[in-house]
Amino acid sequence: MARRRRVAAPKGRDDEVRLTAALVTFALTSMILMAVMLLAPVVKVGPSEGELAPDFSAQSYRGGAWVDFRLSDLFNKSWEPGGDGDWIVVQYIDTDCPYCWSEGELMSQLHSQWGDEVTFVTIVVELGIQGHESNREEVEAFRDKTPFDGCKTNSNCADRPGEPHPWDYVDDLNEKTTGDWEIPGTPFTALLQPDGIVAWNPLQHESDGEDIEAAMQRLVGGS
Amino acid sequence: MAVDIPLMGFLAGLAIATALAVRAKSREGEVGTISMLDSGLAFSFVGLLSSGWTYAIHNSILDSGDTTMCASEGLLQCGSVIGDPDWNNLFGIPWGITGLLSFSLLFFLFLSLRMDMHAKWADSFTTYSLLAGLAGVPFVAFLVFVELTQVEGAPHICPFCTIAHLSLIGFLVVAYLVRERKQSGMWA
Repeated sequence: MARRRRVAAPKGRDDEVRLTAALVTFALTSMILMAVMLLAPVVKVGPSEGELAPDFSAQSYRGGAWVDFRLSDLFNKSWEPGGDGDWIVVQYIDTDCPYCWSEGELMSQLHSQWGDEVTFVTIVVELGIQGHESNREEVEAFRDKTPFDGCKTNSNCADRPGEPHPWDYVDDLNEKTTGDWEIPGTPFTALLQPDGIVAWNPLQHESDGEDIEAAMQRLVGGS
Repeated sequence: MAVDIPLMGFLAGLAIATALAVRAKSREGEVGTISMLDSGLAFSFVGLLSSGWTYAIHNSILDSGDTTMCASEGLLQCGSVIGDPDWNNLFGIPWGITGLLSFSLLFFLFLSLRMDMHAKWADSFTTYSLLAGLAGVPFVAFLVFVELTQVEGAPHICPFCTIAHLSLIGFLVVAYLVRERKQSGMWA
């Protein structure tokens, strides 16, 4: 009697191909990444000096109306050191913060001194502190120094030190940008080169004591 | 209108991957399965390359504010999509990097199957491939929604992003067919 032979199902290879496949995939992905780096090198984005300032878009109050605002629209990417172009002061405030209230005067002074060659931007956040509730009316009143009860928690915005600020006040009451900017608190004022690279960050000058005015004098020059 | 050579290259890649899948569908046994796996590899390879390309566009826009690698105006453009700071990243990671990592996983799964389709783990890898492809679908849907409604001046369609999306959809279809082959005994 003839015996029937069982047809064996094909068996897999003994060697572990998954490791080989992983290595091939890793090599391929690395090659693609290297090609990308050669084609368009990675740009370091962050708030530290030498990094590209984190971009954002929001609504800003420019006096009279709220308009679309994007930080990078202020950048002049073809700027070279020593060349023409507006430097940018980025200030973070909370309209209820007493230090921001006081800094209103310093900002007016800086603007009167450097307003022709520096663009000022104030970004208004609402810190999660009791009594620090803000809204757009309060932002407008803080900027314009118009009567409104609520600035510095319970002061009239018209009494803010300094002059009305004739620059953009950006609404970031939801704190959408503070993470990227690594804001430790308010006020926080940084200086950007015209091409958007952070030139001065106060947190990197706690040891040498340089303030924004001295930094502007050093970097932008006497005005 | 100038011919966009990289875009044509990616479209050709998608066409080749699709042709491989169509041919595989009409073939039975191991030959058909191998062709189907090749198709999945081709889709994931195009996905890898297009993700890398979008990451290069991302870096280029950050560096110079503009890019020569893709149109920056009109309906079909990248500037308003990849250049939009609100939507061009996932928790700070550029979408191009997310795509590279995701397609790497898909490529690895199919390459493993292609290298040893009779391995003990082949059955589970066909399932993993399908699940991994499916996991990408909500992201594609979200990104298409963002392109059409959320970015500045919407609607815009980023052609290279769309290549990556089509690569994922193509891979997903192939992963489904591969799993079907495995489960219906048409594997080899």
